[in-house]
Amino acid sequence: MQYTLFIQGSPHASKACHSAYKFAHALLNSEQHSIEGVFFYEDSVLIANELMQPPRDETNISTLWKALAEKHSLNLYVCIAAAVRRGIMNETEMSRYELNQYNLSPPFQLEGLGTLVHLMSSTDRTIIFR
Amino acid sequence: MNSFLIHISSSSFSSLSAKEGLDLALVMATFEQPIDLYFGEQALSILNQKQNPEQLHGKDLSKALPSLEFYDIENIYVCSEDIDKLDDNTALWEGIKLLDRESWAQKLQTYEHILRF
Repeated sequence: MQYTLFIQGSPHASKACHSAYKFAHALLNSEQHSIEGVFFYEDSVLIANELMQPPRDETNISTLWKALAEKHSLNLYVCIAAAVRRGIMNETEMSRYELNQYNLSPPFQLEGLGTLVHLMSSTDRTIIFR
Repeated sequence: MNSFLIHISSSSFSSLSAKEGLDLALVMATFEQPIDLYFGEQALSILNQKQNPEQLHGKDLSKALPSLEFYDIENIYVCSEDIDKLDDNTALWEGIKLLDRESWAQKLQTYEHILRF
């Protein structure tokens, strides 16, 4: 079965990104399921900040997601509007807003909400983490 | 059958959630997805037509409601029991459809996707 994961909760003020990670991990380790894309919206977009540095004895949920994405060629989409208003920029947005730095951590990528609509309408299940 | 429901339950003045939920509804409608809206709990305040927030308070989302019909978002539901609890003088936006809680509970089961904000 093909899944879309839609994550809304902040990586700091909620466990949405953590629960979604465990779920994604379990899905990808089973042979019957695949994840078409993971879409981060609202405060969950903060997970894509390259500069995030939790203390070393704590879990870096951003690093975990990136490793999972790399291992399974997983698409990590971050809502561009939600990201930009929270100061998560890629190089293109940096230029557009005439800034001199950017902080989007690959493989997280900025995408419009249209990508979410496409994911939700083309996969069998959408699982939401708030 | 309508597939998508955006369920808004947060106040537009306490977080960005209601705004981002409404934004998603408009994008979904633009992509011609059948989309209904539900306003409950703190989000009922968005339906109040007599509000005058300062810029610091946040956006007056009630001003966005009349534009919903241009996106073909026609079903905007509210539970009638929730309306009964409001002050009689509350100037509610007229574009809503009222359902009692039991009918709403049944309707809720018809949606393929429910997104909460």
